[in-house]
Formats: sequence, C-alpha cells, structure tokens
Amino acid sequence: MSMQTVSTLWALMRRELWENQGTLKWAPLIIAVITLFFIVMSLVIGARFDAELAFTLDAIREFAGQPADQRRLFMTGALFATSAMFFQFLILLVLFYLSGSLYEDRKDRSILFWKSLPVSDQMTVVSKLLTACLLAPALYLGAAIITQLVILIIATGYGAAAGINPFTTFWLPASLPKLWLVLGSGLVVQAMWLLPIYAWVMFCSAWAPRVPILIAIAIPLAVSLLQHAWTLVSGFRLPEFNLGLIMLKRLGSGLVPTNVNAQIDSTAHRADLTDIQFSEELYMNFSTVFGHLLKVEMWIGIAIALVLLAGAVWFRRRATDN
Amino acid sequence: MSLTIRAKNLTRHYGRTRALDGVDLDVPAGRIVGLIGPNGAGKTTALKAILGLTSFQGELEVLGLDPSRRRDQLMQDVCFIADVAVLPRWARVWQVIEMTEKLHPRFSRERCMYYLKNTKIQQKQKVKTLSKGMVVQLHLALVMAIDAKLLILDEPTLGLDILFRKRFYSNLLNEYFDEQRTILITTHQVEEVEHILTDLMFIKDGKLILNSTMDDVHERYVEVMARPDHVDEARQLGPLHERVLFGRHIFLFDRTDLGSLGELGEIHRPSVADLFVALMGDEYDNGLAGEEAA
Repeated sequence: MSMQTVSTLWALMRRELWENQGTLKWAPLIIAVITLFFIVMSLVIGARFDAELAFTLDAIREFAGQPADQRRLFMTGALFATSAMFFQFLILLVLFYLSGSLYEDRKDRSILFWKSLPVSDQMTVVSKLLTACLLAPALYLGAAIITQLVILIIATGYGAAAGINPFTTFWLPASLPKLWLVLGSGLVVQAMWLLPIYAWVMFCSAWAPRVPILIAIAIPLAVSLLQHAWTLVSGFRLPEFNLGLIMLKRLGSGLVPTNVNAQIDSTAHRADLTDIQFSEELYMNFSTVFGHLLKVEMWIGIAIALVLLAGAVWFRRRATDN
Repeated sequence: MSLTIRAKNLTRHYGRTRALDGVDLDVPAGRIVGLIGPNGAGKTTALKAILGLTSFQGELEVLGLDPSRRRDQLMQDVCFIADVAVLPRWARVWQVIEMTEKLHPRFSRERCMYYLKNTKIQQKQKVKTLSKGMVVQLHLALVMAIDAKLLILDEPTLGLDILFRKRFYSNLLNEYFDEQRTILITTHQVEEVEHILTDLMFIKDGKLILNSTMDDVHERYVEVMARPDHVDEARQLGPLHERVLFGRHIFLFDRTDLGSLGELGEIHRPSVADLFVALMGDEYDNGLAGEEAA
C-alpha cells in the first residue's frame, strides 16, 4: 500500500468522522459521562449512609490486605465490566452507521460531489469499512480507557483517605497495559467475526432505494420465513439451514466480547458453566481472543463478507443521484 | 490534434426511451462547447456518460480513458458541477475545502480562497446554512481552483444573481481558460454564454441536431427581417423558421445567397436562442421555446 493510498484513506476516514459525529464522537462520550455519573452517584449515596466513610475505608483497607491474585481479579473484572457497555453500543451504532454509509449521499445527491473527486469506489467502500472496524472501536476504546482512568483516580482518592498505597492496591492489579491490549485486540477480532453482517448491511446500503436498515433486516427475515414455510410442505422437517437463524446466531455470538471464554456450542444446546474456573483467565487471555481466528466459521464469514463487499463496490460504481 | 472527448454511436436506453441515440462527438482541446437542449433531451445523460457516472453503449473516450472503467483516474483531469449544487450539507466550508485539498492532487487552496474572497461565505459555516447561490459560489470556487484539462458545467449559474454570473463567466474566460483546457457547458441562459462559446451543439431526443463551430454557425445561418411586401417571396425560399415581431416577419435561412436575401429586408446574425427555436421545431415554438432557450 503506497503512501498515497494511506493518505487518501485517512482523508476519507476524517470525512466519516466529520459526517458521523453523533456515532463516533458524542455517543462514546455520553456513555462515559453516564457511566461515571452512576459511579459518582453511588459513592455519594454510599457516603450518606456511611457517615465519615468508616465502613468504606475499612473495606478498602481489607481489600488492600487481600492476596495479589484476588486483587487482580477484582480490579481487572471491575474495569472490564465498565467497558462492556461501550462495546455493546458500539456494535449497535456501527450497524446503523453502515446502513447509511452508502445511502445518505445518494439520497441528498452529494454523491455527485464525491464522485467528482479522483477517488475510486473501492477506496470509498474500504474507508467506510475501516471506519466501522477500526476507527469506531478505537474511539470507543479510548472513551472506555478514559472512564477507567477516572475510576482509578477516584479510587486513588479513597485509597489515600484510607491510608493505603493506591498504586499497589489499585493501579498495579488493574494490569492496565494488558487489559487495554486484550480489549483492543478483542475488538478487532470481534469486527472480523461480525464482518459478514457488516458487509451485508453495507451491501444493502449500496443499492437500497430507501431505509437500508429495514431492507437489510427484511430480506433475511423473508428468506427464513420462506424456508420455514417450505419445511411445512416438505414433511414437517425443521429447517437445518436457515439464513435468518444463521445471521442471528452470528450477531448474537459476536456481541459477546471475544476475550470472554464462554464457548457457546450449538450442539450442547447450552453453555456449560460447571467446570469454568472463576479467574481472570476467563477474560484476560490472549489465546481466547486469537483462538477465534482458528475457527473455520471465522474464515467462511470473511469469505462471504468479501463477496458482499465486492457487490457493494459494484453497486457503488453504478450509483448516481437517481 | 488530441481529442478531449471522442464518442462514436453513443447510446443509452432507459427502458424503451432512448436518452442518447447514436451520438457522434469529437471535441478537441482548447474549446468552449455549449451543449444546448430542452429538458429531457439527453444533455445530462451525455454529461454523465462522459463523467463515468452512467453506463452506455457505443464508444467513448475522454482524455484517452474509458470513463465507465477509469472514473477515478479520469477525475484527476476532469472536474464538474452537476445541475444543482450538491456539496454535502452536513459539512462546514473549511471541511469541504480541506477534503478537496487532501483528495485532489491538482487543487490549489490559494486559488480557491482567491475566488471566495469576494463572497460572503464564512469558513465555519455549514453548507446547509448557506443560501442556494452561496453553495453554487463555493462549488464554483472549488472547481476553478482545480487545474483540470476538462471542465464540465451543467447549469453552473442556476440561482446566481446577474453580477456574480457576469463575474463568473469573465473569470472563466480570462483566468481559467487556455488552449490546453476544454470547457463543456450546458445552460438555459444561452445568451450569457453565446459570446464565449467556440462550438455549439444542439441536442434533441438523444440526437445531436447541430454540431459545429460558432464561426460556421455564423456563416451558415442568417436571419432576415422581411419588408411587408416581400413576405411571400421569403416564404418561397424555404426558410427554416418564421416568427413575427412587432408585426414584422423574421425568417431564418440556412445558407442562402446573401445577395438575394438582402433585397427582402434587413439581414441579421441570428442569436443562439433564435437558432435554437428554429432548429428544435414546432413543439418548442413560442411560449415553450421562450422558456427553454432564454
């Protein structure tokens, strides 16, 4: 990839940043503010019941005396949990972003301006995909990191009041570099897992005459209903291969952060939770994240995504203002 | 001589209607071409084909490239303004300028600022808060700041006041145009561009019914304001068109002996608008033609 390509892609992604400020800038900020608001509110309410914070400070001193692995489990677990809300909203908003990505400029005719620039249609589609898979996750991760840092700073204040060393009690067990790396690489793997869904929504966005998100939902829904109706004709056998269910399953399993080691195995019909050791290995393990790359389904999904993206480029090339 | 646009048997169907019906076109470099036609005649389709924005049958080469395949490469040397200003409404003025600068290697920010200097456009304004005319001004400034070989203007001055229109065309002619560049203009305001055109094309129902240089047009067509007693005589010479103005009959002839016409009455050079009415035929006559051509 030449420097020219990189700078063009970056210019196009800045366009996405400017155009989709609500999704890419304000939404993560608002989630951060709301998360911190609830934390501060619970501390304020706690302070009202716990005059002079005697119990709270005792509990902190107690926590400081816990073994190192217990403190690590608690700190990383708590910080990981605060990031979860960011990433659930991320996927939801990215789906809406993608559904408009190749549609809005056709609707308001500004596509004629974009097409007057020496930028290929592949490049346009790729810039939007990269925005969804890398730029948006990076911004949401950034907001989650800021939230975690503010939480740690608040904890530091409480720790100082309790007379313990906040660094060894809170900051060190939080294992921040590892936590952020796990979360960051987890988001990239998650985007790869969801790529066929993303590509499908983009594909619909490239040609839909109106409301692409509804069309992206209606088509698989109609196909699976038809498949279902057909099984009624063909001797009441349940469908083994149902498009709607496959897409729902992909989306559902994609919502679970890829670093969480919860094998949802369709043949077992329920997640087997009995032999899970409750430790930070459950969500702080790189092999869990990258293990997804070894699955056949991952690469089948990426292959399907590439076909759909090629289709999106094909429609984009033919798209004008009417 | 290198051709900027070369089309052979260019055809485009929309269902059963033929928006373009076997158009042959050769536009050399260094021309200012006016493409004039009523709405629905195929003007916009022709421009879109040239810009790689629509598929077509037949042969078409723009600056040696096939626009339907190499639009991105072609846009390095071609700029265009579509019939309405289509700048992204969510963007701020500085963002539009910045994006064009980053994405177009031949864009000069300096020149763009020079053209914007005389407008009321503010850098921080959003495009959607600009008036229609201001959006057009911004778009024209962007386009004129690009060092392109082919400039395509589809109704460029729609919604602009007369002062800006005059200034735009004088900028276009004096500062932008040179022998290396080609400009293709479609407009309804024929009388504003007819003095700057070097070539004239009329399009009707997807076919070019006139395609020649302005010099040839002036040589070929004459208008005679016939004296009342010569009206029948003039009619017998087979004029292309006859109209009545203040009771005087005005006939438009295609290449007739000027000497004999002089005896019928005063001879004028027809305006492009009058020629348009004459060649477009009866359905565009009078009221309709006035709107379309004027």
